[in-house]
Amino acid sequence: MKDFFRDNGFWLLLIALLLSILLGLGSVILSGSTDPLSNLANTLTSPFKSGVSAMLDWAEGVYGYVFQFSEMEQELSDLRRRVADLEEQARQGQEALAENAQLRELLNLQERRKDLEFESAKITARSTSNWESTLTISKGSAAGVEAGDCVITETGVLVGVVSETSLLSSTVATLIDTSIEVGGVVTRTYSAGILEGDFDLMNQGLLRLSYLPEGAGLVAGDEVLTSGLGGIYPAGLVVGRVQGVFNDAAGMSRYAIVDPSVELGGLIEVFVIKDFDVVE
Amino acid sequence: MTRQALFHKWFLYALALFPVWLLDACILSRYPLFGVRPMLLPLAVVAVAVLEGSHAGAGFGLGVGLLWALAYSSGKGMMVIGLTLVGLLTGAAAQYALSQSFLGCLLCSAGALAAIDLWRIAVRLFVRSAGWTSMLRVAVPEILWSLAWTPLVYLIFHAVYRRVGGSRLA
Repeated sequence: MKDFFRDNGFWLLLIALLLSILLGLGSVILSGSTDPLSNLANTLTSPFKSGVSAMLDWAEGVYGYVFQFSEMEQELSDLRRRVADLEEQARQGQEALAENAQLRELLNLQERRKDLEFESAKITARSTSNWESTLTISKGSAAGVEAGDCVITETGVLVGVVSETSLLSSTVATLIDTSIEVGGVVTRTYSAGILEGDFDLMNQGLLRLSYLPEGAGLVAGDEVLTSGLGGIYPAGLVVGRVQGVFNDAAGMSRYAIVDPSVELGGLIEVFVIKDFDVVE
Repeated sequence: MTRQALFHKWFLYALALFPVWLLDACILSRYPLFGVRPMLLPLAVVAVAVLEGSHAGAGFGLGVGLLWALAYSSGKGMMVIGLTLVGLLTGAAAQYALSQSFLGCLLCSAGALAAIDLWRIAVRLFVRSAGWTSMLRVAVPEILWSLAWTPLVYLIFHAVYRRVGGSRLA
């Protein structure tokens, strides 16, 4: 090899010089384009370059996985915690929105009914018996709640009447319970009657408006409110709508089946009316 | 029977009561069948009374009655005495008149449920003029739907009885 270079050195230099001149001329002539020789070299070497590049990328990935795994895990854990925090904030926001809407409704009711004094309470338990329909609320005699107080929703819909109180909780007989007897009036005809629970209707979530006057022309869909007669319960609380009008078994009087406006199964918070003005 | 064995036995019975109570208070009460919810706690008292005898039944009835009165929003103190009596009487009935078997338990359960609902009807008839026919329309489906759960309740307590019941731990 040494002899080859010594014997042909001149020729090699000449060839190199000619190639240089050729490449130089080529680059001048093909300005802006890669010269054919470089193009050939790039074409031949690009698969190797790609292969090496891919191997390096893979090696970098492995390095990252091995040596930065704990960092990534930490980052993932932080992100998860952050997502959980954000979800919690969103949930609290939803709850606050719902509570806000509920309080606005109550504010509207308070604007309309300045005579009513409210105490808010949460539903803590529901009756599980076929013989009664009661709710347990989170306020008792310590908050000024008394037996006989009416319980309503934030929109003024009657839920029931407090039947028992203890220091920190109260039992509310819902308006479909058989112990309920409240004066009711149909707004369209001003027909008054007695709203009362009935064993046959309780399990269907209905109540009856009994002792309707002769010729009371009620029709299905008529709105029923509390009448406030006797001054025991406030007047004007929404009870529900007439579902149908019937004659009693003896045929002596008529009664209406009333579908309550309150959704007893979906109640979460209620308002106890601790005081009100008696309307004569 | 040693004190420890006695404690072990009644701890297992109390543990068996837990799923029955959970089913009664949290599941079946939320999904009434045609508006009717079954009563499972009296069935539990009857099952134990039939298997263990009247005195043990009365004791278990006292405990279950307390649970009913305290843990149920509609629970009344009267249930403590009521279920104690149920345990005492059904235990004696199974011991001396019927048999300490599933059939005996079924008959005693029917009797106990009927007695409880008759008491409820009598109280409501006495306190106010609610029609007894409409109350029967509540009581009869309630008794029948409750009785449908007797096999399950009996099976649970019988499993405990087979392990630690009677004088097995003596």
